Amino acid sequence: GGYTQSPGGFGSPAGTQAEKKQRTRTQNIVPCTVSQLLAAEQVDESFRIRDVEISQVTIVGIVRHAEKAPTNILYKVDDMTAAPMDVRQWVDTDEAGGENVVVPPGTYVKVAGHLRSFQNKKSLVAFKIMPVENMNEFTTHILEIVNAHVVLRRNLMEASRGPQAFPSAGMGDMGSYGGVCSMPLNGLTAHQSQVLNLIKNCPVPEGMSLQELKAQLHSMSMSTIKQAVEFLSSEGHIYSTVDDDHYKSTDAE
Amino acid sequence: MGDVHEGPRKRIATAHLAQHIGQPVCFVGRVEKIHPNGKLFVLSDGEGKHTTVELSEPLDEEISGVIEVVGRVTNQATIMCMSYVQFREDKSPFDLELYNEAIKIIHEFHEYFPFG
Repeated sequence: GGYTQSPGGFGSPAGTQAEKKQRTRTQNIVPCTVSQLLAAEQVDESFRIRDVEISQVTIVGIVRHAEKAPTNILYKVDDMTAAPMDVRQWVDTDEAGGENVVVPPGTYVKVAGHLRSFQNKKSLVAFKIMPVENMNEFTTHILEIVNAHVVLRRNLMEASRGPQAFPSAGMGDMGSYGGVCSMPLNGLTAHQSQVLNLIKNCPVPEGMSLQELKAQLHSMSMSTIKQAVEFLSSEGHIYSTVDDDHYKSTDAE
Repeated sequence: MGDVHEGPRKRIATAHLAQHIGQPVCFVGRVEKIHPNGKLFVLSDGEGKHTTVELSEPLDEEISGVIEVVGRVTNQATIMCMSYVQFREDKSPFDLELYNEAIKIIHEFHEYFPFG
């Protein structure tokens, strides 16, 4: 498939770009507090914590209760931010014992799972529950929660402000666009996007020259433009024509 | 009184006790001393400041190292303990100073780490 870049670059509605960026977020696994999960709003099939979409999450807390049933183990995990949260771990009934040993109450665990809501009650379906062996991991998790939510919210704010604001820095940005993202394009920085758009819209057969790019992009230095051009070229968005100073877009309009 | 475990318990350090009188809190610190009657012990936080923890029943075991206490702050700025847990340090020592720094951050960025 081709690129999903919106036509005209700068005139496109920010909404779609923000939504696309949002959707890649749900591929990430977000560290959260139980209080955040309880406060998450359900919108159709997904959840949002203050407008940031989440699906897979991690929590770290202490097991207050553990109940083993034939097909699942139900834990109540407490991270002090709210009442303990229900965490369900499905038991592999084919395996005799072994894999699913019940973690005893009083143990600190890290849970990775999916947020669920049933009859207005939230719970987690865990795909991994690991006792915390080094309690410094618990401190790290606390810091990671703040970091993740600050960055996710900042990205969301910037994405909705306009097409130029696509920071490539931020939590796992490269990682989330790496193997996980199913959309081809959405990994360009603001500079790269601007350069690409100008090249795409250039009607001249030999394409756009670096000098012309510099003339149009007043705020960008030549070295920034060259870096963008090099990146776009190596990624296959543009190709050089008459010489190394002239480029056309590979996306034939 | 209500079971404090069914609601938020703000993580605090010694410096925050005075602002949380009457509130359910969670305090992590290192055991400094235990009263002979077993109903009182002193913990130091990541800044080395001491907090007194009181129990309604005397301790039935030896406690040492890093303890996480859940309880309510009394008018005397001590903590009335409802439950406690010992942090495991069998594999690695717990960095209490780092935890203190994390507390400051979660207080400062409270909208990203809500209690309740």
